[in-house]
Amino acid sequence: MTKPEDVNPSTEEDAGAVYAGLVREAATGDRDAMERLLMRAQEVAYRFSLLVCGHPQDAEDVMQEALLKTYRYVSRIKEPAAFRTWLYTTVQNACRMKRRRHVGEPSHLTSIEQGATSDDGEAGPVEVEGHTRPADQLVMDAWLSGRLRQALKTLPPSYRMIVVLREMEGLSTREVAGVAGISEANVKTRLHRARVLLRQALEGV
Amino acid sequence: MSQDANADCTAMLTKISAYLDGDLDAAGCQTIERHCRNCPRCAALVEGLRETIGLCREAGRTPLPEPVRQRAKASIQRLLASEKPSQP
Repeated sequence: MTKPEDVNPSTEEDAGAVYAGLVREAATGDRDAMERLLMRAQEVAYRFSLLVCGHPQDAEDVMQEALLKTYRYVSRIKEPAAFRTWLYTTVQNACRMKRRRHVGEPSHLTSIEQGATSDDGEAGPVEVEGHTRPADQLVMDAWLSGRLRQALKTLPPSYRMIVVLREMEGLSTREVAGVAGISEANVKTRLHRARVLLRQALEGV
Repeated sequence: MSQDANADCTAMLTKISAYLDGDLDAAGCQTIERHCRNCPRCAALVEGLRETIGLCREAGRTPLPEPVRQRAKASIQRLLASEKPSQP
């Protein structure tokens, strides 16, 4: 029998269905499905920490948070199809909370949504430059094209999140809208602008 | 470049992403393809965005670094060994 993870999803809907299938199986006590789901949750947390938040030093903690929350959530989920939106929102919140702790819980809380304003006038995640440890840098360099990472860094943070969720993570427009808390039309607008900016940045790198 | 050509380019810009995402109908696709045959600048933009999207999608399929995967697996095993799953 083909396991959900063995399927190579060709569309966002397929990918969502794979996640939903894993959630259903894990909820019935299928240990193999649970392990696959927990691995995916940690993979999402790692990529989001590095690519969207730009904090490699937070990645392991955010992965741990995603692991625990997914494990506890699976048996309670009523809509497996909504799992991906829940997961990315959870990871986004974990990154945000991690930043709060880093800045010592000031009255003006740092979140990944505030601090930057995009050209459509909406606040976006704060631009951050992690103080990357050499070991983290080596791992990242080996993992993902430095050219693409450098180009991503030049994007306004709110655009960066949209392009990572849509193009790299393969979320549907609706799922991205759910995670980002904006309309689907706004996702499409930001995605187009992000693509143009990313292309310009790639040509300049 | 004539004003008409500029107007065509501007109109096309708003539709390029929909075109690349397969969200345009056949008539919309034909309009863009016809324009690109006569406008090297827009043709280059479409091709550049197509490459950019491809680069991102390829990066999204890159597996995590092996040391990170191993630590993630170990965390899963520790968690599953220490906690009994709650019943639905």
